[in-house]
Amino acid sequence: MIPAVVRGWSAWSPGREDPAAWRAWARAPELLASEGCPDVQFLPAMLRRRCSPLARIMLETAYAACPAEERAQVRTVFASRHGNINESIPMLDRLAERQPISPTKFSHTVHNAQAGLFSIAADNRQASSSVAAQQDTFACGYLEALTHLQRDPRSAVLLVMADIPLAPTFAKLVEEPAATYGLALLLAAGGEGPTLGFETAASDAVVPARAWPDALEFLRWLLVDEEPLVLGAGACRWRWERHTPSSA
Amino acid sequence: MSVHGRSTPCSLRALGMLTALGRGSDEIWPRLVAGEPAHLTVRDDLVPGRPLVVGAVTGELPRLPRGLARYACRNNSMTLAALEQIEDAVRDVAAAAGRRRVAVVMGSSTSGVSDAEAAIRHQHLTGVLAPSFHYEQLEFGGASAFVAKLFGLGGPAFTLSTACSSGARALASARALLALGIVDAVLAGATDTLCGLTTNGFSALQVVSDEITNPLSRNRNGITLGEGSALFLVTREAEGIQLLGVGESSEAHHMSAPDPHGAGAEAAMRAALADAGVPPDAIAYVSLHGTGTALNDAMECRAIARTFPSPPPCSSAKPLVGHTLGAAGAIEAGFCWLMLREQDSGRLALIPHAYDGERDPELAAIPLAAKGMQVAAGPVLTNAFGFGGNNCSLVLARGAA
Repeated sequence: MIPAVVRGWSAWSPGREDPAAWRAWARAPELLASEGCPDVQFLPAMLRRRCSPLARIMLETAYAACPAEERAQVRTVFASRHGNINESIPMLDRLAERQPISPTKFSHTVHNAQAGLFSIAADNRQASSSVAAQQDTFACGYLEALTHLQRDPRSAVLLVMADIPLAPTFAKLVEEPAATYGLALLLAAGGEGPTLGFETAASDAVVPARAWPDALEFLRWLLVDEEPLVLGAGACRWRWERHTPSSA
Repeated sequence: MSVHGRSTPCSLRALGMLTALGRGSDEIWPRLVAGEPAHLTVRDDLVPGRPLVVGAVTGELPRLPRGLARYACRNNSMTLAALEQIEDAVRDVAAAAGRRRVAVVMGSSTSGVSDAEAAIRHQHLTGVLAPSFHYEQLEFGGASAFVAKLFGLGGPAFTLSTACSSGARALASARALLALGIVDAVLAGATDTLCGLTTNGFSALQVVSDEITNPLSRNRNGITLGEGSALFLVTREAEGIQLLGVGESSEAHHMSAPDPHGAGAEAAMRAALADAGVPPDAIAYVSLHGTGTALNDAMECRAIARTFPSPPPCSSAKPLVGHTLGAAGAIEAGFCWLMLREQDSGRLALIPHAYDGERDPELAAIPLAAKGMQVAAGPVLTNAFGFGGNNCSLVLARGAA
């Protein structure tokens, strides 16, 4: 298995904004609110204005999971199944009417807009990638983060996963446990925190039906469950186990 | 924590490619060295009221197998056209390694958005999305899922979308997955499609040229957009053409403009050279990002002049195929791959820098590859710089084969 230490984590969904609230949720998961967006007051007003709701959630969790003194040094992986597609729909509507689109909107809805905003806000000049992989987006983001640790184990990698339910235009085309949420994990080759092993598993491994997006299933497991976690509904399954039991 | 360590060899074993210059290595290579921007076309259906010179892929594209209709979009048809060129090699490797041991890493900045645009036009006319439209065509993750499903692969499959560095980054991830030991082969590359969103977006940003892009010229006035696909079969052998080094950086500068000093570009190139263990003097050629915008060319020349005490000949392929955005990093790595494959008696035939010849005197001086130029063989470096300040440089070299 490929090891990594979870040195820090942070999660966000509307009305559920601190670790205690998530620990309570992990013990007794209940419906998450879907409307709302963090205020990201720590960002300069000019950057804040340009943040999509997804960017706000990603930057909120990224900042909360990563200590200030490391924000300029970590490498980052931003994972999102849908990215800013909700923000692109009005632009596609304008294109259908042969209307011009805003250059600022265009440049702030690319899949790596969050990565760019984080880099500018945190003065971070390190490697950064932006991942999407349908229902396996969280696991593939985690794997991409491990590849960065492989390339250089000396510094940490900040994995940020977030999604927002799809706007009505596309929502009925996708079946998934939708939620408005973000999860950030500070992963490192060493340091304080639970050590997790990760591997791909045979595709006939039993996967129980999941009520929550994979990233939140992972968080619930990280906070309460000691049994190995298996996620993935497609051809590839993902398996995590805890090397040293810890209170996360 | 590495299973194989940083020195894991990474062989770019086979390449399938599709650009405005044609399909497959044999068609593309002679047109690349000829260096004539003769394969660009004019499209008036992309930006209202503004005909654009573009590097479009022309001719009919293969249809996806019936069972994969949910993935049927132009972007995946181009991927399929590239994959058909390496199908046998992929099947051989998948049979030998096991399908679970083959991963897919795709890069794209568009995925199937051109098909989503058509679906939404249909909705504006009829009230419903076009019935042939499926979300899998549009979502970025669909680009990699399609490739995995096509070959029945069971390894990890994901898409990287970091704007114009996506394709280079997909190769970087492929190499890291092999070093991590989690798979034995990776299908890695990128595809991007000309579409309303990117052509109107870049046009609104006022970085699209009315003429064929003219990188490094005093008369340059922006990019020529393009489309295409390049897919590599990547394995752990020490033979063949190697992905020797990867360098990545972010700019912390601006969402749609590079740092004018080129610090991010320089950091990516220096990191790629260090990772490859190759001194700057050993590099035989640099494939420029060379988009033909005032800012990119100025900062890239500055960065090269600082990174290389005596820079090797450089050229930009953008006037030949257009800026293929998310696919550019993979396509231009593909051009470098072809150059290394065609290496003959220790000589590398270079891709000429096709422009009007009026070098901008304000740019830092770097040598440009002229038509017919050959140099002593050696490793080559290719640059891909993306929106949001996301940079990736790769070093490719011919192995001991």
